[in-house]
Amino acid sequence: MNDYTSDIGFKSINHDGEQLCGDHVEVVEQEDGSTVIVLADGLGSGVKASILSTLTSKIISTMLAAGLSIEECVETIAATLPVCSVRGVAYSTFTIIRLIRNHTAELIQYDNPQVIVLRGGENWEYPRTETTIGGKKIYRSLIHLQEDDVFIAMSDGCPHAGIGIAYNFGWKREDIITFMEAMNLCGYTAKNLSTVLVDEVNRLYGGKPGDDATACVVRIRKRVPMNMLFGPPSNRDDADRMMSLFFSKEGKHIICGGTTSSIASKWLNKPLRASLDFCGDIPPIAFLDGVDLVTEGVITVNRAVEYAKDYIGENLLYDQWSSGKDGASRISRLLFEEATDISFYVGRAINPAHQNPDLPINFNIKMNLVQELSEALKKMGKRIKVSYF
Amino acid sequence: MKVTVCIGSSCHIKGSRPVVEQLQDLIAKENLNDKIELGGTFCMGKCQQGVCVTVDGVFHSVSPETVEAFFENEIKARV
Repeated sequence: MNDYTSDIGFKSINHDGEQLCGDHVEVVEQEDGSTVIVLADGLGSGVKASILSTLTSKIISTMLAAGLSIEECVETIAATLPVCSVRGVAYSTFTIIRLIRNHTAELIQYDNPQVIVLRGGENWEYPRTETTIGGKKIYRSLIHLQEDDVFIAMSDGCPHAGIGIAYNFGWKREDIITFMEAMNLCGYTAKNLSTVLVDEVNRLYGGKPGDDATACVVRIRKRVPMNMLFGPPSNRDDADRMMSLFFSKEGKHIICGGTTSSIASKWLNKPLRASLDFCGDIPPIAFLDGVDLVTEGVITVNRAVEYAKDYIGENLLYDQWSSGKDGASRISRLLFEEATDISFYVGRAINPAHQNPDLPINFNIKMNLVQELSEALKKMGKRIKVSYF
Repeated sequence: MKVTVCIGSSCHIKGSRPVVEQLQDLIAKENLNDKIELGGTFCMGKCQQGVCVTVDGVFHSVSPETVEAFFENEIKARV
């Protein structure tokens, strides 16, 4: 076991006019710490393609996770997929990335664009072995992982982007590689790398994609711990214990909440300096020596939760939080982009001022915020620990 | 003179932002920038009376509607 972790993100756009996507990405984590990622592209578009790709990715990921061989998976798919009445075939291409305890990646590719691997920021043409299973040509590779390796899997909607509009023959693999090498330099997360790729594809299609297009990115990175303190303890006598636990932990420290940061300021015996820079409608942040970020509580965290929910879904608000100077944007950058292992220290004190029915905040909302935030962060593939005081 | 405005959750919802902005405007208009230090702070523990403002440590309850009168009586008159 090493201290690497994988950051997995994907995004799809639908064929113009379709409500369903014919591509499907399935991520399954196994108990032994391995992860199976399947990107399947069903024949055609719309409902039929969606069913084909969903079945394919579900069958493969479930079978592989259960320890069955790839040969059995392929045979099962060939035997189960419904046959298209128009074309007389049952067909879905797939790419499998299997991360074995974050030290080895096994790539199994069938008819999707070849997975791009960036190593040390540059394209790396890794070795592939061709095998034939059930008449299908399948390429397999075993890659020993290094820090900052980036895997980019796509459906054919990506290289086909812009055919007849921006390019004669679509967006060539070499050009996608150049584009992604440049984007990777920006330090984007897997989700944002897949988003910029798919957004560019959409642009090349002139906003009317001629096919479903999906990008799935896996980044191998070192674990980065982070700690967030939110709310004063329900029993003030626990404050010292809460502070010493919080500050003894490795990694960056975030404190949310006015009273909470005052307690921390007393404990550290350092002055708390609040700024008066209002950015949008989020209260200003404050500064405290020894703490990486101090923000107001519920309003700021509520916005961070909104950003988190958007990030795991459509990822449309990225522009707002990627550069915003307000507390919520700062929390989002630290938690979504930088951290991999987050410990929450949540105080359950009830703020009497928040119990006013005229105010849109109360104790239940505060506890829900922590739950929602940790759920969303878990979906981003992060390890979350919550301690209540 | 040190004027501190609470920017905690509760005061924020009650309008600490317009209070701060109006105070900044008024201070600039009266050319008092070098005499008044306007600062922020988190919760003063009197959320019910927000927006909480202190002038040299003396507590005042201010709202965006009363901020002008507050400035005239408590700040301008005392500088």
